[in-house]
Amino acid sequence: MAENKDHLWKVADDAQDRIEDLVKAGANPLGMDVGTSKVVASRKSGKEIQSAHQLNAFIPVKWAPFTERTIQAQSDIAWYRDGEDLVIYGSATERFANMFNAEARRPMADGLLNPREKQAWPVLEAILQTLVPKARTAGETLAFSVPAAIAGKEAELVYHEAVLRKYFQGLGYRAVAINEGLAVIFSELEDQNFTGIGISCGGGMCNATLAYLSIPSIMFSIAKGGDFIDRSVGAVVDEHATRVKVLKEEGLDLSRAPRDKFEKALHIYYEDLVESLVEGLRRAISTAEKLPRTDRPLPIVLSGGTAKPRGFRELFERTLRSRALPVDVAEVRIASDPLTATARGALIAAMYEK
Amino acid sequence: MAGTAVHLRARQNEKRPTARRSGGGDFVLSIEEKSRSIRDPVAKLRFIRRSLARYQEADRKLQAVPTPLRTLLYKVTRFDRVTPLLTTNPNGAARPAGRPEPRRPARLGLPAASLLAGFALVAAGYQATRPVTAEPAGEAPRLAPRPVAETLPVLPQGVSPSRVWLVQSGDRWELYSNGLRVDTTYAIAGEPRRFRAFHVAAGMQEAVEEKPVGILFHTSESDIWPLEESFNEKLRDSSQGLLRYLRRNHVYHYLIDRFGQVFRVVEETAKANHAGHSVWARGDLVFLNLNNAFLGVSFETRWEGGRALPITEAQLAAGRSLTDYLRKRWEIAADLCVPHGLTSVNPRKRLIGHHLDWARGFPFEAFGLPDQYARPAPSVALFGFGYDERLVRVMGRPWAGVREAERILADEAAARGTTVDEVRRERQRRFDAWLAEQTSDQDAADARRVAAGAVGAKVRAPGVNRIGG
Repeated sequence: MAENKDHLWKVADDAQDRIEDLVKAGANPLGMDVGTSKVVASRKSGKEIQSAHQLNAFIPVKWAPFTERTIQAQSDIAWYRDGEDLVIYGSATERFANMFNAEARRPMADGLLNPREKQAWPVLEAILQTLVPKARTAGETLAFSVPAAIAGKEAELVYHEAVLRKYFQGLGYRAVAINEGLAVIFSELEDQNFTGIGISCGGGMCNATLAYLSIPSIMFSIAKGGDFIDRSVGAVVDEHATRVKVLKEEGLDLSRAPRDKFEKALHIYYEDLVESLVEGLRRAISTAEKLPRTDRPLPIVLSGGTAKPRGFRELFERTLRSRALPVDVAEVRIASDPLTATARGALIAAMYEK
Repeated sequence: MAGTAVHLRARQNEKRPTARRSGGGDFVLSIEEKSRSIRDPVAKLRFIRRSLARYQEADRKLQAVPTPLRTLLYKVTRFDRVTPLLTTNPNGAARPAGRPEPRRPARLGLPAASLLAGFALVAAGYQATRPVTAEPAGEAPRLAPRPVAETLPVLPQGVSPSRVWLVQSGDRWELYSNGLRVDTTYAIAGEPRRFRAFHVAAGMQEAVEEKPVGILFHTSESDIWPLEESFNEKLRDSSQGLLRYLRRNHVYHYLIDRFGQVFRVVEETAKANHAGHSVWARGDLVFLNLNNAFLGVSFETRWEGGRALPITEAQLAAGRSLTDYLRKRWEIAADLCVPHGLTSVNPRKRLIGHHLDWARGFPFEAFGLPDQYARPAPSVALFGFGYDERLVRVMGRPWAGVREAERILADEAAARGTTVDEVRRERQRRFDAWLAEQTSDQDAADARRVAAGAVGAKVRAPGVNRIGG
């Protein structure tokens, strides 16, 4: 006995995947990765998962009628006016930052709402608006990622999570927060019964979670991520961090010897980040009070934009060998799509909570 | 990667303070083994979490036992292996929402504790020897009955016009004399209608019918935008999306959207997919699987909170005009105008209410139709179908006609000095025989059509459910 029509149409004909979208109640759970560098939204469409993203950054430019008209004429630029400024936000920010040779600003820092940024919430809200529609059904489920707390920043995390939860609830969703590393485990370690270590290397921080049967046992984060690399390299090569980011994403290869000063700096700070991450992981596991007993070697999945450069996995693996973890490691691999792994995992959490 | 993995394992096996082998019969291993066979990630997650939740509940009870005994119990029952997985914050949020804090266990006196301990030991022994099971990974059980459709305001009863005729038509519309306007933008031809009725005493009739004999009323139960002003830009998009889907799959003859617009989907002379396994009767004539014999009229409804929302007054008025037109055109008897929910059955499980659209609340009176809820349900009275607790959970109780049909079965059993179950079984055998006869007849007709080179004729493999499209 079923209350809705999918069974009827399955009897009537071979059901198409789209039937779920058209017929089933509350068929639109949403998974959100609210990261320091990018905001990614994932939603199921038939059997496929569709993802969309926005750069989590903005740049204010002085308002002038001409500037406003120019921006208005370009449909791919998201902006709003704030007094004497035009605030350009989202993916167009990088273009403008390079154009004006200025630094893009971020509504978030270290994985949380940036307390030093006056525009933090208005901009993040505007960015979220471009990705998250109003809920179609009251109580539709949305799961959003939150980082693990850095020691001493627990209160900020509670605030960050509450602000996002209230915002999504205001759109009509039942909002559920999910740890970022756990979301990676949900999206990438289903074959392992959601057991293993999920690591998300984002812009503001790296998050790692060890879960057993989907239950997180260890969650920790380090306040180093892509931004740290960009800032540090920028400082030593005298470039804006935004410019460093663009150059870095154009084809950094950590598996080959650096060809110039710029690449050398990138290699140094990547190594530093990975050292910190592996050491943090080792310490967290060693000091954990209670770990589930298992003799199964654990897989490690790396995700996030910072894990994208070629050679990152090998770098991580080399570092891991030099500091043996107190658990067996089966393999180290990069997520199938590092940029969307967290959002896809959040989507699984949302579908589960539905 | 395999080489790398082996290397890592070999190195790290030298220092493994926390990793230990789990013993046989371990709860956790049992969950692992079962969940490996589940392919869907959400279903797998649901299975794992539900299984763990069961242990969480048991753990809560164990915590009520005084400390030394509790420690012993944890070891004996092997719960110590599960406890690292029991948490009230399974998503690792800073502030888990909507999750109750664990209740503090009440302090127990020694006698009560001993009793509980004894019980726990017995339970542990039982648990250790049986496999872990969780509820099926499908839908969660519904907690409270909810109506599928609301009772609607009654329109003043009018006199049904003696004739309804086509007044005017355009490229994509038709206007009828009773004010009915039909949008034909999405209209599509289909397989010709063909069916044979059954006679209660004589079985399948010789005559092959090509005209519809009845109307089934449906609700679309769709995931569409709420009917609110703020969704204006989206409202028509979702209806059009639904119409495109219906057209592509030849579902329903008519759809009435929430603004009262009537859309033709499948031409009235063709059969449409709308009824599934279904049964209805009039007098001694019985109709099985109503895609061919009945026209399908669906009211677009939004599915929200586990039920279809009520239809609008505009839909009500349009539905009435459409029903009048169809009844006049095809000479349809009033008691063959019936909600889908009253006809739908699940033959495999022998249950009624496979679909429950309009299983309550259809405004018969406003349509000038006799109330079919009170009529003995043919599926029960003629074919011995029953219902299970799921129908009760959703509906509260079955409609009056079901109870009346059960009374008829009971009376017959009493008169014949046999049991109701025996009477039901007899009736069910009749259903099986008639269904097989209908299938065979339809197969033969399909084969003839193919042999005659009928365009678009479809032949289905034997055994495939053939009542649909």
